[in-house]
Amino acid sequence: MSLGMRQYRAMVRKDIIAELRTKEMVVSMFLFVVLAMIVFHYAFTVRGSVRLSLLTGGMLWVVFVFGALLGLNRSFVHEKDEGCLDGLLLCPVDRVTIFLAKTTANLVFLAIIQLLAVPVFLLFFSTSDVVSNLPGLLAVVVVADIGITTLGTLLATISMNTRSRDLLLPIIFLPLIIPLLIAAASGTAKVFNGDAGLSSLLGVLTFLVVYDAVFLVLAYGTYDFAIGE
Amino acid sequence: MESATSAVAETTARPEAMRIGVTTAVFAAAGVLLAVGLLAAFWWAPTDASAMGFSQKILYFHAPIAWCGLLSFGVAFVAGILYLRRQDAKYDLLGVAAVRLGLLFSGLVMATGMIWGKAAWGVFWAWEPRLTTFLIACLLYAGYFVLRSTVEEESRRATYAALFAIIAFVDVPITFFATRLLPEGLHPVVIRPTGTGMVAADAVALFVSMAGMTLLLVGMLRVELGIETLREELHYLKNRLGR
Repeated sequence: MSLGMRQYRAMVRKDIIAELRTKEMVVSMFLFVVLAMIVFHYAFTVRGSVRLSLLTGGMLWVVFVFGALLGLNRSFVHEKDEGCLDGLLLCPVDRVTIFLAKTTANLVFLAIIQLLAVPVFLLFFSTSDVVSNLPGLLAVVVVADIGITTLGTLLATISMNTRSRDLLLPIIFLPLIIPLLIAAASGTAKVFNGDAGLSSLLGVLTFLVVYDAVFLVLAYGTYDFAIGE
Repeated sequence: MESATSAVAETTARPEAMRIGVTTAVFAAAGVLLAVGLLAAFWWAPTDASAMGFSQKILYFHAPIAWCGLLSFGVAFVAGILYLRRQDAKYDLLGVAAVRLGLLFSGLVMATGMIWGKAAWGVFWAWEPRLTTFLIACLLYAGYFVLRSTVEEESRRATYAALFAIIAFVDVPITFFATRLLPEGLHPVVIRPTGTGMVAADAVALFVSMAGMTLLLVGMLRVELGIETLREELHYLKNRLGR
């Protein structure tokens, strides 16, 4: 195994072990997601007149994006406050490796939340047969998650080094994530409305893959500047 | 700080009178072209035959402004790349000036678009791809100034601002396509791959207005850059007095 690969694996392991010790990020993200679903239920059912199943795609992604924001904000706070980041930067590690490891760890946490949250979501809101459309849903979620964590990790690195930290991240993250949100929500809505084979999701998936690729390349080119000396 | 002061010194060392002269000339040319464009739009170009009728005249104003908004963000993008490569403070100042003007022009695009929307669609706001794209761009670039205000250290502020200008500009075309994924497009598409669908008079009026507006942007960028440079200089002098 190459040196870069070993460093990458070590850093991902470090993040996951640190999270397993406290579990604070995953637990709070999960609680937030479930609470948001309850808020949605009461916000959108005015005298029971709305068919919520039509809104499920959008609701799911609003919940995921804001849940991810919570996690992204936390992901660098420990590093910064405990001085871990300085240590990491002193190590002879490529900055891009740090970025990839951080992104992977954030992706893992987001995926865990989704694994827990989607069943709850289906229990609360869905009436359609999602199980048969599972490959489609899975594809949209995975590709969109990569985009959220790539862009999110890059911007969280920037916002961590500013004065207002967690206040700044949503302001710069949300406008940039809107295109992904549009595509992911429309793809998921198709799945929930039962008219989604993988072929009908092709447009959405292609868009999401391009989006991921653009920001991966961008992060690769600029992460040195983002993380600082 | 070093690089900022050297930029200041370099700019002020340039003959001031010539700089002002060039800027004045650019503004004069912009004024002439915009006036000619407007005259051509109202007196020469025929009134639109479709349902749009007279309200279509706003195109000669609206489209050039939209172009200038995007061009300005493009300038910020290039300035961002140049800053990251050369770490020269003057590109940071150019970036600030360009984003500020881009925001101004984007605001004007939405204002003129809403006026036209009221005439053509009967409502000021419709969740229409292009209108929405510009709204998102405005919010995005407003974040640029929030970001700047939260970083104290100058070189770091410039680096992050440059980074953000690059990321944001990459997002603009993506947002454009994403909003188009949605079916409800009300906005007329004038310039298509198959041709413009305009008669000669329309096209001349539009392109003269475009050239005029672009020159106006160039002139305003020069003024903004001058102001930003002076502000840096003032900041530097204040700091020296403080010591």
